[in-house]
Amino acid sequence: MLRFGPATGPVIVIALPLFEEANRTRAFAVTILRALAERGIAGALPDLPGQGESLLPTHETGLAKLRTAFAAAVSHLEAPAFTLAIRSGALLDADATVTGRYHLSPMAGADLRRELARARQASSREAGEAFDPASLDTASEPVELAGNLIAPAFLADLAAATPSSEGVRTVRLQTEAKPADARLPGSPLWRRAEPDNDLAFAQAVADDIVQWVELCAA
Amino acid sequence: MQPEGFHEVEETVRGVLRDVLGISAERAAAFDEATPLFGALPELDSMAVAGVLTEVEDRLGIIIEDDEVDGDMLETFGALVRFAASKALT
Repeated sequence: MLRFGPATGPVIVIALPLFEEANRTRAFAVTILRALAERGIAGALPDLPGQGESLLPTHETGLAKLRTAFAAAVSHLEAPAFTLAIRSGALLDADATVTGRYHLSPMAGADLRRELARARQASSREAGEAFDPASLDTASEPVELAGNLIAPAFLADLAAATPSSEGVRTVRLQTEAKPADARLPGSPLWRRAEPDNDLAFAQAVADDIVQWVELCAA
Repeated sequence: MQPEGFHEVEETVRGVLRDVLGISAERAAAFDEATPLFGALPELDSMAVAGVLTEVEDRLGIIIEDDEVDGDMLETFGALVRFAASKALT
């Protein structure tokens, strides 16, 4: 687990998105934690089972395992703890004991499934193979989607998973159409082919989080 | 004669290509009706196509079915905009 900032006071715990988007947003997330540390707020970035440096293969992880691990990581930190969840990371903080949840461009598990199937279709088309998205519902072996081997049970759980609604502040890009508590100018880094960063966006998120944490603590 | 809202759709598609492919604003501003896309832009490989289509859906509030995706609608900027407009402006 990466740690930044002071040893006491509120801690912001990052829930990165699932699969490839984690790679695309990791530098951005760390930039936010560094900005928060400069503003006197602690931060942490855990690797969950099947993510990052975890030794668990991706096809052996699942939603319950990730949620339990995230909650355990949070429980090792000082209170009050808050989550900063990016995209499908918003599906992972339901079981954690936190004072608030900051969801940046959250998405439902069904949306993630759809995007994974679409990426698989694009690569299958390029390879001249056929791919039927309905096969995701009947798979008995792990399925390779957008570079990750994913267990059928995980895919089934994703179909029904939605972000928590308790203590949530939802923030989205100005270009997004879905409802949000606030919108920030920024680019959808999770859509890029290569990992990238958006320093102005990171600073804006950090500023918004500082204000929100102060309100929550009051 | 373009329907009302066509310009907004065009600027939305331009913004999607700029944001998803990481293209500079100057380069994206230069895209016109005949600018070739898939096969000509090195950033637009098949994985990026998935991201572009999903982002277009999200910003315009439309659904693009898998069987609607073919080489023609991705061939030029104009073709992609016309496709998006046909779904967003009806």
